[in-house]
Amino acid sequence: MNALTSMWQAVPAASQDDLAGARRRLLEGMHAPRPVLATSRRRVVTAPRLLIAAGVAAAAVTAPLVAGGGTPAYAVTENPDGTITVALNEMRDPEGLRADLAAAGVTADVSFLAPHTRCADSRFEGVDPSYGSRGHSEARLRKGVERWRSFEAAQVVDVREIRIRPEFIRPGETLVLEFRDNQDARRPWRLGAWLARTGSPVKPCAPVPDAG
Amino acid sequence: MTTTREVVAADDATLIGRSLHEPEVFAVLFDRHAPLLHRYVTRRLGPGEAEDVVADTFLAAFQSRDGYDLGRPDARPWLYGIASNMIGKRRRAEAGLYRAYLRSGVHPGEIPGAQVEDGVNTLAVNRPLARALLRLKRADRDVLLLVAWAGLSYQEVAEALAIPQGTVASRLNRARNQIRRDLPEGERQ
Repeated sequence: MNALTSMWQAVPAASQDDLAGARRRLLEGMHAPRPVLATSRRRVVTAPRLLIAAGVAAAAVTAPLVAGGGTPAYAVTENPDGTITVALNEMRDPEGLRADLAAAGVTADVSFLAPHTRCADSRFEGVDPSYGSRGHSEARLRKGVERWRSFEAAQVVDVREIRIRPEFIRPGETLVLEFRDNQDARRPWRLGAWLARTGSPVKPCAPVPDAG
Repeated sequence: MTTTREVVAADDATLIGRSLHEPEVFAVLFDRHAPLLHRYVTRRLGPGEAEDVVADTFLAAFQSRDGYDLGRPDARPWLYGIASNMIGKRRRAEAGLYRAYLRSGVHPGEIPGAQVEDGVNTLAVNRPLARALLRLKRADRDVLLLVAWAGLSYQEVAEALAIPQGTVASRLNRARNQIRRDLPEGERQ
């Protein structure tokens, strides 16, 4: 097989110039919305999510988004594996979404926020330090992303979809979801998701300006 | 992103794990493996397709990185496996390259003049090889060239193509026998 091994061995390894276009495409692709793949869904823990963890607190305000003709504002689907998928196409009717989640067995509090706003802090007591974590170091947040139940309970899995995993929500806890209009069709909203401790009522969201 | 010494020294699995939270770290994996992956793809498809295949391979890898087995420190089998799929979608380009070589005796990705000294001998061997490669089944060719050109071990080829090691061995055996039959007498090593 020596002959085969040396066949066309004068083809050189690529230089940085040869690879510049491919490298650029990779970097651009990292930040583009992921094409919908039927086969697998990825847990998305991206920088914006960390920012949200850093303390975008909650608010119950309807923030209008462009509605696709005939597309429902949201859809709640119970999956065979026990998880729940929420497709959020349009940020309206938070109460309807809350009721549908309740019907699926998840006690939730849903807020839709206008761009550049967040809910005022201290709406509830969280089950882990993810809520009210604005002062956390990035390193602590990263560790938390791996450990805190709030991050396990609800994850962004696609541009317009989140997956809720009820196995991480204990009886009496409330899943608090704060969606903020992102004014970007490729990433229409940002999600802040936390678990409120059993016995801790969740106050209504009072929107306050937020630079993020 | 600042590429720290620590990142550069980390094994592939560590980089992939970190890239789940710091996506830009994945670019270090690109810088590490893209030059030789590009060479491998160029040998198989020619320079015209290589950039696209390399970009598609790393994008697909990036998007599926949360499924990577972090117990495997070397990501080459994973990357070359993805690239093999991409190459498989360009079979016509691959066959076209071999046919063009049979006609012209020139691989468009080679550095011109690199083999002037023994060019005649090289051509005498490479032409039958190109003809033989053209005749192989795609699955056999993938295994053969991952070993011969990418330098993967049997175990790594098995990981790359998600097939048992026994299948790697039987495909390789079949491909080698077929190649030997097509080579000139003196080259059948």
